[in-house]
Amino acid sequence: MATIKINNLQKDFGEKRAVDIDNYVINNGDILGLVGNNGAGKTTFFRLILDLLQASNGAAFINDIDSSKSEEWKNFTGAFIDEGFLIDYLTPEEYFYFIGKMYGLKKEEVDERLTTFERFMNGEVIGQKKFIRNFSAGNKQKIGIISAMIHNPELLILDEPFNFLDPSSQSIIKHILKDYSQQTGATILISSHNLNHTTDICPRIALLEDGKIIRDIDNVDNSAEKELEAYFNVE
Amino acid sequence: MLLKELRKHTKLAAKRHPMFEKNKFGKFYIYFMMLFWAGYFIFFGIIFGFGFADMFPTMEPYHIMNKGLFIILAIDFLFRFAFQKTPTQEIKPYLLLPIKKNKLLNILLLKSATNSYNAFWLFMIVPFAFITVTKYFGITGVITYSLGFYLLMILNNYWYQMCRTLINEKTYFVIIPIVFYGLLLTLELTLGNPVSKFTMEVGELFIKGNLLSFLGVLIGAAGLGWINRTIMIRNLYAELAKTNDTKIKHVSEYKFLEQYGEVGEYFRLELKLLFRNKRSKSMFRMGCFLIIMLTGMLFTPSYEGPLGKSFVGIYNFAILGILMLTQIMSFEGNYLDGLMSRKESIYNLLRAKYYFYSFAVIVPFILMIPVIIMGKITLLMAISYCFFTTGFIYFIIFQLAVYNNKTTPLNESLIGRQSTGTGFQSLISLMSFGVPMLVINLLRIAFGEIISQLIFLAIGLALTFTSNYWIKNIYKRFMKRRYKNMEGFRDSK
Repeated sequence: MATIKINNLQKDFGEKRAVDIDNYVINNGDILGLVGNNGAGKTTFFRLILDLLQASNGAAFINDIDSSKSEEWKNFTGAFIDEGFLIDYLTPEEYFYFIGKMYGLKKEEVDERLTTFERFMNGEVIGQKKFIRNFSAGNKQKIGIISAMIHNPELLILDEPFNFLDPSSQSIIKHILKDYSQQTGATILISSHNLNHTTDICPRIALLEDGKIIRDIDNVDNSAEKELEAYFNVE
Repeated sequence: MLLKELRKHTKLAAKRHPMFEKNKFGKFYIYFMMLFWAGYFIFFGIIFGFGFADMFPTMEPYHIMNKGLFIILAIDFLFRFAFQKTPTQEIKPYLLLPIKKNKLLNILLLKSATNSYNAFWLFMIVPFAFITVTKYFGITGVITYSLGFYLLMILNNYWYQMCRTLINEKTYFVIIPIVFYGLLLTLELTLGNPVSKFTMEVGELFIKGNLLSFLGVLIGAAGLGWINRTIMIRNLYAELAKTNDTKIKHVSEYKFLEQYGEVGEYFRLELKLLFRNKRSKSMFRMGCFLIIMLTGMLFTPSYEGPLGKSFVGIYNFAILGILMLTQIMSFEGNYLDGLMSRKESIYNLLRAKYYFYSFAVIVPFILMIPVIIMGKITLLMAISYCFFTTGFIYFIIFQLAVYNNKTTPLNESLIGRQSTGTGFQSLISLMSFGVPMLVINLLRIAFGEIISQLIFLAIGLALTFTSNYWIKNIYKRFMKRRYKNMEGFRDSK
């Protein structure tokens, strides 16, 4: 179970305010899609929640734990923002086992969990005898996403997970995320530029502009699609 | 015009690098050292100018200098390993522009030839020539002599570039310069000094302004430049295709570490970091090479005194730690975000690093066993230096984990960028070596050999057995500074 509460969270880079969110709650079990134009503040928002950036003001609370003051939330959180998360001189298997060990998983348990992602990996990730640095951008993305999910986190944060993925893989990861939410009740935050995928997966969508959440859309029966298309002027 | 643009881009890349502000101390230090060495070279030029005349009254001083040209070139070749990098201009941004690849590489090679470092030895040669050459050949002789010498430096530059590029590719290419200089030395010593006679003739031809001599050097430089370009093209394609290590035959798993929990996992990660990345692998090999060389020095009579023994002894144990651990956390800067998203992983990482480098001191210890058996150093001395390293020296160096915030690339490449250390890292390195030397010698003066070593051992043991506490302290301080460090690592990636 994971609830996120945002309390007057602000982040300034020089004169520019990149994130400015007064009060916002992401409830336990929500699948929240974060959309916005480039530079809207999506990645910065995620980094603030994950304590990878120091907030200029305010705080983010994960299960009432201030993420900047305690590390306890890390035990039940999984995240993948970008390649900077990957230890690229390991093979994917080594990396998965390493992550698994950090969360107390044995090799056999990791192997078992990896079977869920077999279609997603499409025979291109495991058993290649290659270091992560030598994989394509798409396969690195897959490795990152899997590593974030392997320990069945209660809170999952993925920044633009559909980037670099081929259409089949995009479709597969959508199903994986939906199934994961249904099976575990985990709270999932994803950001994306792909409105179709976002409205497909996320019952709740937050629209970010200049660091502020300007709309919090209830996506009942994909109703958010028209509203988002109007905002982004997509015909 | 393209050369001018590339030069401008190089200057802007340095000036606009996020670490430019932080490296102001480093820049000041470099300028100061440049001025110092320039002055030193001028001093040598003048001293040699007058000194050779006194020492060798039957020969002209410039003849003596010219006989030693190959020694100067060999010293210059070694110096370049410390100061000069292979052309690491970021070529990638230019590859898809309407500029021929060959032209781009030619410009890079020209850039390296016109590097101001190639003119540095002129600080010695010009004053020397004024003192010795003007007598018979006037100012013209000074000019032609200096020009010839400068062209030799350009030739040496390309020779160095070729060797360095090959050695960066595969370390065993170091055999090329070893064989080359070894052959020259053998010829010189066994066949009646043909090498120094040859260089003496060449030097004289420079002074006399002989065009053929200049042409010969230019042809040699052009030839080496062409070889360099061929090697660079081959490496460029390999790097673009990333074919260098895509096929690994065997993946070392270090399974024996599995039983040691999280710390064991980070110990395993440290091993993989060291042996799977060019930069760390080269540094580690250099450390091992230095340990072997330093142990060898203990067998020579030059290091029989207490000062010499303590210098070599301390350095032998500390060198690997100093080389690798001054970059502590800088390699991890490449993937720090991932580490930070897991609880206390930095603490376990630091512990694993400490255990790893503490185990590593076994290597110099074992190598020193013959020296101990021969009575050159005592067992107590070896043990005290060993624990002083794992205690005091590592205690000092590990402090850098709190302050290092510049990412060191794991794999340097021809088309990638390189990084230099900060002034603070240099200071810590100096302290890590200098303070123990000072302490042991002061203790020796105050208390004699055995008591000083016992005190050294006590300090080392105390800090070694309390390592968990000071590592925890370092971790807490790192976490207090984490935002600044993460920002620094991200900016310098």
